[in-house]
Amino acid sequence: MAFDLPFLLQILKAIFQAMPLTLAIALVSCAGAFLLGFAFEILRRVNRPLGLLMRLIIDFIRSTPLLVQIYFFYYVLPYYGVVLPGVVVGGMALSIYYSGYLAEVFKAGIDTIPAGQSEAALALGLAPMDVTFRVIAPQMLRNIAAPMGNYFVSILKSTPYLAVIGVAEMMGMTLEIASSTFRYAEPMLLLGIVFFILAATMAWCVRRLEVRLMQSSKR
Amino acid sequence: MVSNDVVIAVKGLNKWYADFQALKEIDLDVMKGEQIVICGPSGSGKSTLIRCINRLESFQEGSIRVEGVADQNDLLTLRRTVGMVFQQFNLFPHLTVLRNCTLALTRARGLEKAAAEDVALSLLDRVRIREQALKYPGQLSGGQQQRVAIARALCMSPKAMLFDEPTSSLDPEMIKEVLDVMADLASDGMTMICVTHEMGFARRVADRVIFMDQGRIVEAAKPDIFFEAPRNARTRAFLHQIL
Ligand SMILES: Nc1ncnc2c1ncn2[C@@H]1O[C@H](COP(=O)(O)OP(=O)(O)OP(=O)(O)O)[C@@H](O)[C@H]1O
Ligand SMILES: [Mg+2]
Repeated sequence: MAFDLPFLLQILKAIFQAMPLTLAIALVSCAGAFLLGFAFEILRRVNRPLGLLMRLIIDFIRSTPLLVQIYFFYYVLPYYGVVLPGVVVGGMALSIYYSGYLAEVFKAGIDTIPAGQSEAALALGLAPMDVTFRVIAPQMLRNIAAPMGNYFVSILKSTPYLAVIGVAEMMGMTLEIASSTFRYAEPMLLLGIVFFILAATMAWCVRRLEVRLMQSSKR
Repeated sequence: MVSNDVVIAVKGLNKWYADFQALKEIDLDVMKGEQIVICGPSGSGKSTLIRCINRLESFQEGSIRVEGVADQNDLLTLRRTVGMVFQQFNLFPHLTVLRNCTLALTRARGLEKAAAEDVALSLLDRVRIREQALKYPGQLSGGQQQRVAIARALCMSPKAMLFDEPTSSLDPEMIKEVLDVMADLASDGMTMICVTHEMGFARRVADRVIFMDQGRIVEAAKPDIFFEAPRNARTRAFLHQIL
């Protein structure tokens, strides 16, 4: 592995070109997984039958490999006439896969809120939506900022899987250079470093958010 | 002050938790302006009874009407008509004292922020805690938190107030400030049902004292009769124990 500056720059260029798309997919998937996971967890609490159904869905999502879900959506949806670009399928698959995990995180976050909180909100005559979004959700977020942030980082780190369906994210682009030059060490090393920097930045943002949430109530 | 209008009418109420019967044949009419104190041993169904009134608990038999609003159908109206104060205060820790009070005004009553804050501040004033309006609940003492909880409930201009052992988790030196606020409310003619073992408060404030045991109302009488000449042996035993 001789030092080859032009080669390193070529790799970096490819990585940086793919970075906006990669980050966009990761962010959209974080939002998607968050919303979907929250919806699963709220529906799970509505009543028993719905609760069991949601439990089943969440467990199913969590116990099938991400790669299987990606291939499933990519090759099975077109069979039913739904042809979506790889980027969309990728975002969908990441959102759905991680929604299962986030639903569990939300569950833990809500379980630690005393029952008296929703009782007090209901006793004031607040509608169920307001109880959920004004009283429960903010307290839940405070409880789960850290584990939720870890899953957001995982989402970012899972974008390489989308290379298998031809999404032009950082892994796929790096791999292209690697396989055309038969040199894997430098590309993978650089990619690793870039992911490390991105993940560390994201983790830092999450910690900031956590501190902010904590400060806003001094308790 | 007590009129003939019935604010809360409980008839033939029976309530089970699975196969355990927590309330048995409860009949209770609460008149406008009346203050009722409920006492009784732990597990006798006091909390269950007042939680049935605003449907935090469901029940299987009987009926409860609040201001003529009949059963289940309009939960939101029912709950906006009766205020409730809990033993654990249950203030929303992520909101300021002021926002705790305005939340239901803006979200449920549809008031503008400024109008809601006016209402909230005047009620915080009434419970003598207006200067803490911008603090978070975690920064207040227990007694202050409970007074905020009372103001929060009053913001909705309830027709009646339910209190479930409002002073039981307070340090002794804070009990008085909360009871004083409640006594003020009573003298302003607020209809209230209060579960408490503060017998001094019951003597001073209540129009009727009710003793519950094993899910039944065993005795209901004016305070002087209740404390001086209770008819039921179980009431006598209970009073003997706590006085
Ligand atoms: N959610 C519940 N599930 C099953 N049983 C319950 C439930 N809540 C209350 N009970 C039972 O119902 C009975 C009445 O309870 P309740 O809380 O009304 O008593 P209480 O008079 O308020 O007692 P305390 O003075 O301890 O507050 C008790 O035996 C209690 O164990
Ligand atoms: Mg109780």
